[in-house]
Amino acid sequence: MKRSFLRGAISVFSAAALIAAPAASVAQQSAPLAPPAATAADPPPRPAPARARPDPSTDEGGIWGVADRAEEDARRSAERISDPGLNAYVASIACRVAAEFCGDVRIYLMQRPFYNASMAPNGYMEVWSGLMLRVEDEAQLAFVLGHEIAHYDARHSLETLRAMRGRSNAALAASVAIAVIGAAAAANSPNSAQSIMNAAGGLIDIAYLGALASLFGYSRENETEADAEGFRRIAAAGYDPAAPARQWRLRIDEVAASDFERTRREEARAGVFNTHPLNRDRVQALEALALRAAAVGETGRARYRAAIRPFLDPWLRDELRRRDYGQTLFLIERLASAEEDLGVLLFYRGEAHRLRRGEGDLAHARAAYESAIQHPDAPPLAWRQLGEIYERERRAAEAAALFRAYLDRAPAASDRLLIERRIAALEAQAPPGGTP
Amino acid sequence: MIKALAAALALSACAAVAAVEGPYSAAGAYTVTLDRQWSDISAVMTQRPRNVRLLSVDGPLLNRLYIASAIEPGQFLVKPARREAPTPIFRADMSETELVEFVIDSVAALGYLRPESRNLRPDLFGGREAVRFEIEAQTPEGLAFSGTALLARAGDRLHLILYLAPTEHYYARLLPHVEQVFASVRFQ
Repeated sequence: MKRSFLRGAISVFSAAALIAAPAASVAQQSAPLAPPAATAADPPPRPAPARARPDPSTDEGGIWGVADRAEEDARRSAERISDPGLNAYVASIACRVAAEFCGDVRIYLMQRPFYNASMAPNGYMEVWSGLMLRVEDEAQLAFVLGHEIAHYDARHSLETLRAMRGRSNAALAASVAIAVIGAAAAANSPNSAQSIMNAAGGLIDIAYLGALASLFGYSRENETEADAEGFRRIAAAGYDPAAPARQWRLRIDEVAASDFERTRREEARAGVFNTHPLNRDRVQALEALALRAAAVGETGRARYRAAIRPFLDPWLRDELRRRDYGQTLFLIERLASAEEDLGVLLFYRGEAHRLRRGEGDLAHARAAYESAIQHPDAPPLAWRQLGEIYERERRAAEAAALFRAYLDRAPAASDRLLIERRIAALEAQAPPGGTP
Repeated sequence: MIKALAAALALSACAAVAAVEGPYSAAGAYTVTLDRQWSDISAVMTQRPRNVRLLSVDGPLLNRLYIASAIEPGQFLVKPARREAPTPIFRADMSETELVEFVIDSVAALGYLRPESRNLRPDLFGGREAVRFEIEAQTPEGLAFSGTALLARAGDRLHLILYLAPTEHYYARLLPHVEQVFASVRFQ
């Protein structure tokens, strides 16, 4: 099974793996993974894998076969981030923390606004943009990668599979997985009736998560083990040993800032799967490890920020579509605390307030946009959004001037005709010449 | 994709599907005239808002025409799966560009990736001032989708017609019929 960094995180692939787990015959249907066609996202040639491919007739060979098919889906997914520079950068960190598996692990960066990374038994790893947006520095990302590689190193998927068999849960696992894979496939494709109904999320939450919860009783030990191994790897690679605990403290604080009570309560529960240690337990364990290590290492913060800087805009736009503005604003404040990228970050602070539309939010949005446009990296939309707020406040001349400034900065804007019409209407109310 | 198709067909088979052509009422506020036969597959949307209809010719995988009448403040076009995953809601104080954003974010809530609006322009919706625009998006599998939408505010309500189809072949094939639907809006 694909092991997930975030407790409770679920993917279609996890369900697919469950089908294969109890049924060795599935392995016989698995064609060897064909060499993938080279793409811009493919990393440069790597060393040969350290781990040999298992015999397809074995249980381990079976779950590798399923993982191969899931990997092929990931390879073709439109959610894959294909930027060669970012892919090479992340791969280089993985090789730094686990040089012996540099030829085994294949990392797929996916543009999905959730805090998750996961590892499949065949060496295929996913890291999602929501996690990369929240990781502060290279040391924290290195810990995530080290944690996931630890699952691969220790063959935790195979361990789980065999334990499930031992507990005679295999048949249940298969039946649940079969039910789930249909729902999950429907839920994840807009080319489905389910997407029209948009009810699949609820179906998965209740039937899927609830039924699967009983199957994941013991792997918290694996997660604890992976944390310790991930820590050992980053310390050995010369990264800051305090990074992992800080990462989890920030995660706890962000969840506490959620707009939704159920999300805030998650920290107090172990999560539906109970598979990952409670975050607070995790922090304590990682802090204790850092104290014992008593070493100093680098964070790689500047390198990391430079690597993700080109993606802040699209990733934050995705983040807004989660519509958990409490968490989003917490995240933006964290990112802005480095006093970098303020044009983009202040713009998105404004967007979060504008979309939330709670008490005082439009005033906060106005202030954020006003600050954003003082910075050279502010997106042109900052001028348009501020113009809209001024228009609401009947500051016609200033609004018109801001709309003009927007069009100057985005001459090919798709809404040019509408904005020009509004400028004309505003200038009919007030003579031009207002200074934003 | 095959599993999704099977799920869609199974669900469609269980739901009431009606062939519709000619004058078609969008839940009361206005009518459109359909110049060809469509299937009214609104029933596949569980707990759909009463004022949102869904038509298709080749099935929802290949073309969708949403006809929404008098969406109220606080109402969504796409039903949220759960409280912690809210979908966009219409607000009476939305600007023109926010109305377009409401549609685009609703398309994202349907599961399409990176939806973008193109060529926003003034238009008419049954003689009323309206906004027209095109949409580009992708499925997670990488299939390109196109769309077009016509929306108009009526007091604190929103009228909307939204068409989505795969860019290759399907979008252009029905577009003339969708244009005819846009042009045929008549308020009652």
